[in-house]
Amino acid sequence: MTTRSFGLLAAMLALAPMAHADTADGDALLSMSWDQIVAEARGGTVNWFMWGGADNINRYVSEDIGGRLRSEYGITLNRVGISDTVEAVNIVLGEKEAGVTDKGSVDMIWINGENFFTMKQAGLAFCGYTGLLPNNALVNWENPAIANDFGVPVDGCEVPWSTAQFAFAHDSAVMPEPPRSIPDLIAWVKANPGQFTYPAPPDFNGSAFVRHVFYHAAGGAENLLGPFDKARYDAAAAKTWAILNEIEPFLWREGQTYPTSITQLNELYANGEVGLTFNYGAAEFGVAVQNGIFPETTRSFGLTDGTIANTNYTIVPFNSPNKAAALVLQNLLLSGEAQYTKARPEIWGADPAIEIDRTTPEIQAQFAAIETHPAAVPAAELAKAALPELQADWIAAIEKGWIENVGQ
Amino acid sequence: MSDRWKILLLLAPAMLIIGVLFFGALATGLVRSFNYMPVLGLTEPSLEAYAAVFSSPAFGRSLLLSLHIALTSTLLSALIALWAAVLLRQSFPGRRIATFLFQLNLTVPHIVGAIGILYLFSQSGAFARLAHATSLIARPAEFPALVFDPYAIGIILQYVWKEVPFIGLILLANMQAIGDDYESAARSMGASRWQAFRHVLLPMLMPGLLSASILVFAFAFGAYEIPAILGASFPQALPVLAYKSFTDVDLAARPEAMAMAMVIAGISAVMILAYLRLTRRGAR
Amino acid sequence: MRSLRLLSGAVLITWLVLPLIPLAIWSFARGWRFPDLLPRDWTLAAWSYALSGTSGVLASLGLTLGIAAAATAASIVIGVPAGRALGLYRFRGKTLVQLMILAPAIVPGIASVLGLHGLFLALGLTNTVTGVILVHLIPTLPYMILVMAGVFANFDTRIEDQARSLGASPVQVFRYVTLPAILPGIIVGGLFAFLISWSQYILTLVIGGGRVTTLPLLLFTFATSGRNDVTGAIGMIYILPGILILALTARRITGRSGAIAGVGRA
Repeated sequence: MTTRSFGLLAAMLALAPMAHADTADGDALLSMSWDQIVAEARGGTVNWFMWGGADNINRYVSEDIGGRLRSEYGITLNRVGISDTVEAVNIVLGEKEAGVTDKGSVDMIWINGENFFTMKQAGLAFCGYTGLLPNNALVNWENPAIANDFGVPVDGCEVPWSTAQFAFAHDSAVMPEPPRSIPDLIAWVKANPGQFTYPAPPDFNGSAFVRHVFYHAAGGAENLLGPFDKARYDAAAAKTWAILNEIEPFLWREGQTYPTSITQLNELYANGEVGLTFNYGAAEFGVAVQNGIFPETTRSFGLTDGTIANTNYTIVPFNSPNKAAALVLQNLLLSGEAQYTKARPEIWGADPAIEIDRTTPEIQAQFAAIETHPAAVPAAELAKAALPELQADWIAAIEKGWIENVGQ
Repeated sequence: MSDRWKILLLLAPAMLIIGVLFFGALATGLVRSFNYMPVLGLTEPSLEAYAAVFSSPAFGRSLLLSLHIALTSTLLSALIALWAAVLLRQSFPGRRIATFLFQLNLTVPHIVGAIGILYLFSQSGAFARLAHATSLIARPAEFPALVFDPYAIGIILQYVWKEVPFIGLILLANMQAIGDDYESAARSMGASRWQAFRHVLLPMLMPGLLSASILVFAFAFGAYEIPAILGASFPQALPVLAYKSFTDVDLAARPEAMAMAMVIAGISAVMILAYLRLTRRGAR
Repeated sequence: MRSLRLLSGAVLITWLVLPLIPLAIWSFARGWRFPDLLPRDWTLAAWSYALSGTSGVLASLGLTLGIAAAATAASIVIGVPAGRALGLYRFRGKTLVQLMILAPAIVPGIASVLGLHGLFLALGLTNTVTGVILVHLIPTLPYMILVMAGVFANFDTRIEDQARSLGASPVQVFRYVTLPAILPGIIVGGLFAFLISWSQYILTLVIGGGRVTTLPLLLFTFATSGRNDVTGAIGMIYILPGILILALTARRITGRSGAIAGVGRA
């Protein structure tokens, strides 16, 4: 038994890091042509860290994208599923801290917002290469919602992947007419005790919901744009905590506890415990209905005072040893074909981050033929009232303030 | 070769692994908890992290919650395990199945148990549905809050589920080693069944029961994934709070995570001393 | 009295299997909402996803098994000699050695692993399978040593002397005399080590950094993302090997070896 196990141990040790084409030197890549980069990338492996809790997304990435990457470029895609993006940021941060500058274990991260802010601040991102990607031409960098990630200039440090806008969902069989603005929602919560709650920030979606109330309290998002301003923050925050504490007794479980994740809120909604749920990206509701998780009669909507829209991206860490392969993957993700497949509701339903009218006529026709799931409000309709994201330090302050003033 | 050298050789690999991995890790954590992390430019040791941790109300609540979880789970598990072990020693139809399930449960990872408890006890879970089917409740909200609750009932239920078999199997093994002779002797001298248990068997089981309980206490105090799945948004169990500080993108929170880890280690050290005292008394 | 015993037994049996039942049902359910006692639609979708190459569940199962087997083997190789030293000899500093060996079994992983992360980072062991196997030794080794110390405490070295005097080589003595005597203990200690490594979450998460995706990590991701059906299927796959190993070793645990009682003794 012991000798056999020793053999196993030896086999396991051999599984540890394998050497392959090393393209850690980012400066060298920047001086290459795209064809040279593609040649360098061949035989490489991309360790792509991304939230792994959705089987449809996992399938799209591993099968569709992974298959094309292998057959067209000879690159292996290793999708590393994590439960929170901050885990991946932390690995890179830890590696920088320990002086690991060219043998990092993360080649690409699905990212946005606070995590991007951290990576950019701490110099953890490989930057300045986006112009090299041929499909970069499909991206409209003139659009401030693309060129800024939660108010932080992208500066060529990440590549857009999808866009998403916050939306609410209700069961039309139970509640035909939901509240469609923050003031209406507040009145509805008070009139329907126990029927509403939101995940405790710093949960991504819970934090976004609190920001909608914050915008309302501040009299609109336009007063909050730009760098963090203590005076403006204090004024809006005081009103926000007042509103949230006022509705707290009318929340699920009298507000004594909050769901810890959007998943818990979805579960409450699915079982009829609460009347509303919400999410970044209405497509999620369609997927949930398809999976039998949400009732068939689920419908979704935006708010008349607008909902927050943002873009999510992929980023390459400064110490990735597979930068060339990661760039090829980013370019593939931006292609009209990949963006179209991703937008199909039965695949994922994620809105494209490229300008559709810059793609080929065939792709444009395919996009035009997409029928959104009845549970998902069409992106075009949501986009009529879109709100910008705040800069990361605003968001951090709001999350911290919520925990101290409402959550505890 | 003298015994001295033999002992040294036999122990060396184990002591090397434990010394480097475990004590090295604790030492690193300790140094970092004093805000000493040269790679981050922190070169002035200080007690800042401890001051920050101990002055935060969230930490106090978390510490209390974790102590409550560990103590309540251990007490309940020990009592039920004692009852179950006594039961399993006697013959009844289904004893074999129960003994098998006892062992089976030992192999089920805690995280699976936690998810099972969640599906069973949540307000829309299996028991709530049964309550609805029997018209005891009309809506999920009417079912008592047993998971994600501030009293950590769900967390405690999962530990009881997992640890009763653990303590129970140790007790059963001890009972087998003790045999029936002492009790029979007591019974033949006129002791009642209860008296024989209370005054003869129980004292002999006590060292094993207590040391197993200490292992359970330490585990329930320090586990991360169970409170992460079954816990409320506030207060959070201490390990969840510590891990959150560790993964905080603000690096300044790292020394605080280390300080919390040291607090957990310190409380465990007390457990170790208790364990040694108990087993020492029991073994002789 | 007998009926009370029967009832208690029934309660015990029910309680022991209960949490696994909804998990098993979920794995075959397509949506299962309150207040339905059973799912309205049944499907194999979750299983077909879990068993597909995309989900990585089977690869992860192999990895988790491999890590647990390696940690167990290393625990045996390192733990048996240490157990022999503690079980057979009295020496100066023995209490201290016992204390040092006991400590990692009691101090929770979260307390040591945060510091260990810094140490392993410097050694290049984070995010590697090797690093994860090493960190699993922290909780597995003490159990192995404790069990073996208990076994060797009841071991009579004179049979080894006898074999040696009959001309057996050290290897032969170990193979034909020592090993058969201590094998039950090795199996119990090994089982403990295996199960501890098998269930490990936080140590793998921190040291493996998400790169070493063992089953508990995969399960946690799905459990926290609301896919109860996939969670159910992965959960079922996760408990299977433990049941198989138990079926193979069950007799040893309750057997006369009494090695498990050693856990209660230092």
